[in-house]
Amino acid sequence: MKKPLRTSLNLLLLLLPLVGCQPRVWQATTAAAATDVPVDHALKDHPQVETTIAPYRERVTAQMSEVIGYSEAELTKGEYQSPLGNFVVDLLLEESRELYGQPIDMAVATNGGFRSPIPEGKVTMGNAFELMPFENELVVLTLDGPTVQELFDFAASTRIAPMANATYTALDGKASNITINGKAFDPARHYTVLTSDYLANGGDHMTMFSKALKTEKVGMLMRDAIVRHIRELTASGKPIKPDTAPRVTFHPQP
Amino acid sequence: MKRRDFLRTTAAGAAGISLLGIPFATEAADKTIKLTILHTNDQHSRIDPFPDDGRAYGGMGGMARRASLISEIRKQEANVLLFDSGDIWQGTPYFNFFEGELEFKLMTQMQYDAATLGNHDFDNGLEGLQRQLPHAGFPFLSANYDFSETILKDAFKPYKVFEKQGLRVGVFGLGIQLKGLVGKMHYGQTVYLDPVQKAQEMVQVLRQQEKCHFVICLSHLGYSYVGEKIDDRKLAQRVSGIDLLLGGHTHTFMEVPEVIRHDSGHETMINQVGWSGLFLGRIDFAFQKKSKRKVGVHTAVLAVDNPVLTS
Repeated sequence: MKKPLRTSLNLLLLLLPLVGCQPRVWQATTAAAATDVPVDHALKDHPQVETTIAPYRERVTAQMSEVIGYSEAELTKGEYQSPLGNFVVDLLLEESRELYGQPIDMAVATNGGFRSPIPEGKVTMGNAFELMPFENELVVLTLDGPTVQELFDFAASTRIAPMANATYTALDGKASNITINGKAFDPARHYTVLTSDYLANGGDHMTMFSKALKTEKVGMLMRDAIVRHIRELTASGKPIKPDTAPRVTFHPQP
Repeated sequence: MKRRDFLRTTAAGAAGISLLGIPFATEAADKTIKLTILHTNDQHSRIDPFPDDGRAYGGMGGMARRASLISEIRKQEANVLLFDSGDIWQGTPYFNFFEGELEFKLMTQMQYDAATLGNHDFDNGLEGLQRQLPHAGFPFLSANYDFSETILKDAFKPYKVFEKQGLRVGVFGLGIQLKGLVGKMHYGQTVYLDPVQKAQEMVQVLRQQEKCHFVICLSHLGYSYVGEKIDDRKLAQRVSGIDLLLGGHTHTFMEVPEVIRHDSGHETMINQVGWSGLFLGRIDFAFQKKSKRKVGVHTAVLAVDNPVLTS
């Protein structure tokens, strides 16, 4: 039913330039042109609006510049595993386990969700917001064995998915020698996997998550977990340390 | 201003649509009513401009600047209506810290005439929305969310009619399906109703009962999807009688507004201006004073730091 409509529309659009030089082929219809006016440097701030914003901006700036921790090194992201990826997935698992109250086998995130590195030295609230500007929530998925295998194959082929509490070997886009929780992967059992609601809903093409047997919210935003963890480290006198122990065995591309 | 140049070429050349019209100037000014529609969508709490650090759109946007632009246009034009198509909230720490209060206050200062609800406007739940509504000096219009079993019962109207020099402009709002997009705990007992059916009802009410000459839909459905999911283009194909559809959700930067012709012959113009208030949408319509028939639509493509390109 829709197809003829679309076809006629396309036909219409095709014909338009041909009839363009003739006067008024559509009744009461006239010019349509581009409409968006850029909001840029050429405009001055509106004084009243600027006055309204100012005190809010001061408070945001003050809160964003609060130092919440210290890092021994700059943590950046990379393929398969990285100091930044490892740090984040590990802390997500740790913080979620406390709140969730039931065992969670492993955690996975994607590099696309890490928007900025953690700097060496002082780490501010602003850094946490830059790292994780999204309001992504933590969820626990229950997956069957074959779906877990798909998840690891995804990580092996795309190289964008750091994992906590799991190791594997990546070869030709497939994952093998998988261990979860220190034990060999058992395709016959179910596993609980911590991730973000964004990925659980198929973000970054993680379509295997649509096969989840169960989805439960942890009740915490990813960024809140990051901030909380860094604060906890700081409170116990610890800096952020890069974890570079290998989790993924892979062979460099020729 | 590359984009500007590109727009101009497209509008004058390939698009074709633009060639069909009669220039505004040929319509005697004393016989027409000019209506200036300004609009935004998906502001995502972008209070300050994007940091000018080499990133995409760095240095662009900013609500204090937008306010200046709007107030300049108001000085020049008699009949201005200013709308937003949803997702006012979420995206900068301003929202995390102040829960949307500042966004609503600034939109009120800019004298927004109406907005519709985006999915992110539910991000602090119905309670969060209720808390901030007192800061919004403009109505939220929603025709396809039923809030009757929620704390926001009676908080929103489906439509509003604006009158400018006798020209009656009916405006209604449509929202996207919340299930899967917004946590259930956040939208609670809000019921999503079929936007096609609701739009048909709205057109009927606005044209028959309210005697509107012009019908605008503020939509947060999204511009276009592959597959069956309802979008602005499908809506315009299925519902006859909407003149202007101001969209959102998909963050679409449209080079030119799209005109979709319904089988009935009615034409709906669709526009969407990306996100974050990087651009202010502006569309000018002319109506015959006597008949209130639409006789012209054009765009004062007011590049802010360039001379006026069309007028």
